[in-house]
Amino acid sequence: MTTAATPAAEQSEAGRPRRFQIPERFFRLQSYVALVLVFLAAIAVSPRRGGDLVFLNSENLLNIVRATSEIGIIAVGMTFVILIGGIDLSVGAILGLSATGAASLLMVSDVGVVPTVIVILGLGLAFGAAQGLISARLGIQSFIVTLAGLQIARGLARIWSGGQGVPLAYGDGPGLAPETFALLNSRTFNGTVPIPALIFLAVAVIALVVVRNSVFARHVYAVGGNERAARLSGVRVTRIKVAVFALSGFLAALAGIIHAGQLNQGSPNDGSGYELDAIAAVVIGGTSLMGGVGTVAGTLAGALLLGILNNILALNNIDANVQLLIKGAIIIVAAGIQAFRSQRR
Amino acid sequence: MTRRNGHAAGPVLACAASAALVLAACGTESDAPGVADTTGATGGDAAAASCAGADGEYLIGMSQANVAEPYRQQMDDDIAAAAAEVDQFEVVFADAAQDNSKQVSDVENFLSQGIDLLIISPNEAAPLTAIVERAYDEGIPVIVLDRKIESDSYTQFIGANNLEIGRAAGEYVATELLPDGGTVAELKGLPGSTPAQERADGFREGIASNANIEIVAEGVGDWLRDLGQSQAEAILQANDDIDVFYAHNDPMAEGAYLAATAAGREGEISFIGIDALPIPSGGIKAVEEGRLSATFVYPTGGREAIATAEEILVECADVDKEQVLETQLVTQENAADLYAELGGQ
Repeated sequence: MTTAATPAAEQSEAGRPRRFQIPERFFRLQSYVALVLVFLAAIAVSPRRGGDLVFLNSENLLNIVRATSEIGIIAVGMTFVILIGGIDLSVGAILGLSATGAASLLMVSDVGVVPTVIVILGLGLAFGAAQGLISARLGIQSFIVTLAGLQIARGLARIWSGGQGVPLAYGDGPGLAPETFALLNSRTFNGTVPIPALIFLAVAVIALVVVRNSVFARHVYAVGGNERAARLSGVRVTRIKVAVFALSGFLAALAGIIHAGQLNQGSPNDGSGYELDAIAAVVIGGTSLMGGVGTVAGTLAGALLLGILNNILALNNIDANVQLLIKGAIIIVAAGIQAFRSQRR
Repeated sequence: MTRRNGHAAGPVLACAASAALVLAACGTESDAPGVADTTGATGGDAAAASCAGADGEYLIGMSQANVAEPYRQQMDDDIAAAAAEVDQFEVVFADAAQDNSKQVSDVENFLSQGIDLLIISPNEAAPLTAIVERAYDEGIPVIVLDRKIESDSYTQFIGANNLEIGRAAGEYVATELLPDGGTVAELKGLPGSTPAQERADGFREGIASNANIEIVAEGVGDWLRDLGQSQAEAILQANDDIDVFYAHNDPMAEGAYLAATAAGREGEISFIGIDALPIPSGGIKAVEEGRLSATFVYPTGGREAIATAEEILVECADVDKEQVLETQLVTQENAADLYAELGGQ
């Protein structure tokens, strides 16, 4: 995966004379290099079954993409938020609200699949847009606004479901969800490729195209690089901020719908901590928390890296506490490289 | 959700209706709690002394550690349902959201409200011990639910024995599911939590009678359905031959079932869980609908707590210092009956 030179990358290459020999190109490729290294390491330590490597088994690889799909989709939205120098802590709670809401609409309100999806995606979009508007208009840091949003979304989810999970059962008639929703829990192409993995792929492709070709993306980088300069050069900063948070909320809601479909239930407490996994994917992907620098492609690599890591550690029965240490270390290394890179500039 | 709000009329009513209580427990007028303690009696004696019998009106405070867990929500719901059947009882609920200091102030607020009896399920033992002692020393009967405190200043402890439940699960596997031996994969709860440790230890004692049973894989699902699913996926990839998935709670067992279904292996594996909550998303329904082979009731103690409160406040009786709740095996035969018996809706 090669990304086109983004405005951010151009900007960083144009900077001061170099004091170090490491070319900027390396930093741009950081997350892909890391992804390949983790992939190779996983092959090296993979358990064997009947002479074959379990890790490379196609079903296992598809499982990884399936397990990564929700965090990956959220992380795409998070990348845009972080690119404008913000943060969105509400995505995990929006996922929980959306999963619960989708299950309730299907099972309790007996609404069809299409209206359910439209309502829930609209809810996520509106929730995110409201957070963006409050943050931009009132000048409150997005950290605080989305921290409040997290609590509100969680509270709404619990009220909606009475605090308990809403199980999905499929069939015709009242009190049952239409069979089509069960597609999210199934596989296509002769039962090989999980549908959530395909949705993740679609979101990734659209995001990559948007980043490469759209005015919107250029404005996002401009706002993140220097908000004042962007405003002076005619970028409608408030509008960009609202759009970015709306996108993040929308993708979190999409992940929530997938979540309910994959688990056959919507539970109001689902998605806790997902926001941190998404932020980790973005950071490992080389996006700066200062804003303006980073790529969606890097985030996708970061998300897959975390997915592979979770998988190979589980395949090898590694102690859960050691798993935490390893994941923490990788985040520190990624952030360290980021810091080194920005000092250099 | 009104029952979770502070109750304004309750204390006043309770005070007016039971003259004997005015001195002993009604703190609404003098909210310095020490002042109310005119008799100098301890909680145990005061329980009898302050008993106004069937004519009284009583305000009960229920301090819950955290309602984000379905099990604890169920405990609150059980208390509310049982209390609704006792005319003299009014219950106010507080949720500490896993925060010890919030739970301390929750209890302080109860004391200011002038509760006649405290039910508490402490988040952690040590931080809550002092406030429970204070309530008890002020003459308020205290029922400690599920988790203990580090002192004997309470009226009754009600709880189930996780070691015993793990052992029952192990014995069920050793005698019913795999009498001729076989392989077990275990999905553990959050590392470091005592139920996870005790459910693991008990299980090993339970299967010890059958030397041909081997635990071939251990995954950690942190009590969560989605983590249970991805951990089970990896376990299924790494192991050709698994006869039983033993999960420390029902959501993780359901996650394992989803993983096995996706891999087309659900027919060759039995799934067992623990908790058996009588709610639509709980384990009893999962057994009834054939996804799980069995689950084990981990009683919340909510109904028992209200029964004890009735003995203390209405019947003016002495109660035992400890009440150990028995587990129950849930299989396809008794699932529907138990669901109704435990108050499922």
